[in-house]
Amino acid sequence: MFQLFSEIKAIHKWRELLWQMVGREVKARYKQSILGYFWVILNPLAQMLVMSFAFSIIMRIPTNAASNIPYSIFLFVALLPWTLFSNSLSSATASLVSSGSLITKIYFPRTILVISTIIAKIIDFLFASSILIIYMIIYHIPINTNILWIFPIFFIQQIFTLGLSLFFAAANLLYRDIQYLLSMILLLWMYLTPVIFPADLVPERYRFVFQLNPMAVIVNAYRQVILGGGVPKYSSLIVATLLSIVILLLGLRYFKSREKIFADNI
Amino acid sequence: MSNETVIKFENVNKQFSKLNHKTFKEFLPALIRGEKTSESFTALNDISFEIKKGETVGIIGPNGSGKSTILKLIAGVMWPTSGTIEVKGKISPLIELGAGFHPELTGKENIYLNGAILGLSQKEIEKNYKSIVDFAEIWEFIDQPVKHYSSGMYVRLAFAVAIHVHPEILIIDEILAVGDTNFQKKCFDKMEEFQKSKDITIIFVSHSLSQVESFCTRAIYLNHHQIQYSGSTTEANKRYLSDQNK
Repeated sequence: MFQLFSEIKAIHKWRELLWQMVGREVKARYKQSILGYFWVILNPLAQMLVMSFAFSIIMRIPTNAASNIPYSIFLFVALLPWTLFSNSLSSATASLVSSGSLITKIYFPRTILVISTIIAKIIDFLFASSILIIYMIIYHIPINTNILWIFPIFFIQQIFTLGLSLFFAAANLLYRDIQYLLSMILLLWMYLTPVIFPADLVPERYRFVFQLNPMAVIVNAYRQVILGGGVPKYSSLIVATLLSIVILLLGLRYFKSREKIFADNI
Repeated sequence: MSNETVIKFENVNKQFSKLNHKTFKEFLPALIRGEKTSESFTALNDISFEIKKGETVGIIGPNGSGKSTILKLIAGVMWPTSGTIEVKGKISPLIELGAGFHPELTGKENIYLNGAILGLSQKEIEKNYKSIVDFAEIWEFIDQPVKHYSSGMYVRLAFAVAIHVHPEILIIDEILAVGDTNFQKKCFDKMEEFQKSKDITIIFVSHSLSQVESFCTRAIYLNHHQIQYSGSTTEANKRYLSDQNK
């Protein structure tokens, strides 16, 4: 806990650097491309259309028994936060290695490299979400005040993402195998998370996996509050929150314990 | 010269562990067979020295003698294996060609980025912006991505930002070899100005013995991971040359 507070203090002191690094990520990414930042929207849109075609027209995955929500929206509500999670984690894992030249030259809190990468992905996510909003207006998806739940859910997701990112980024600096291992893990993980199918399609006796997987809880919660107009399942959400906090504390602890040998291993 | 010590190394050792097996494929069998998976090599062996405020100290020695490791320890990006290091004051390392720059960003954007990396606030950069670009002499290219810059322009920009940080300790690693003669002279003039102010300590690493001799007040000669000599620049250079010719 103490480590977390002292790190927050250090980052606050270096916040100008943090924003510069976020700016660097966002500005530089699509600089030499014609469509530029529009790719941020185009990419998830294309992914969603392809997957919708495959899973609703070919495979005919039902969405929810009682609702008549189109599969594409059902998918997108989960796919957007999942993509955010997966992109954040893989970019953050590579972030220390790709800024190696800075790490060997000058001191600043190393966590800034990880955090700025994640913030840049969040900005992408916000742009990509605009399609979802347009979609929901077109299909007249009813919403109510329960939708405000997305803020705490999003916050929990970020705690979880940051904790894992800190762990993987530090580990990747020592063993570059980690980034390849991670892409494999993420692929499997996506199927252990009800992104392309509803959770209740899974046989009851396997559903406990979702309880232990914070991303499953988070994705379900998004669906419940955005499409279902209900409230998330509190018990699952509390477990996921606690698990995320533990992961953040452990991730930070591992990161700090390795920080002193970062420069030796680049 | 004041008597305040700003950098103090005491019996500093630095060892790196070199992995023999870089990948899991090699690492796992080795681990199972119980072989040693890493081996350490010594980069610095029992280094002790002090640098006082306002000094300009040259560090010379052949490649691989540990010069850069010392700089990294001073900059606080590496930690010693044993021994103690004390450093007082704000450090501005001259970041090696482009390390702090992003090639796709413009010169202007990079000034802000690099300034923030060196610990400047947005306001301070704004205040110094004109003078940074003036010093670097790159007004016409300031809105171009730095990937189109020549290596000389890179160094000029990097140097210009580094000196506007108002450092207390300025670390200069080899970098000036890149700029053209005019710019080199300008940098040395600026550093001499720093020297006169007596507030700034300069650590200067160079292979150019003549630069060290004319510019530094003292030199440390490093070889075989140990300090061979510390004292007058002339003597340090002499020893270095005689060791080289052996």
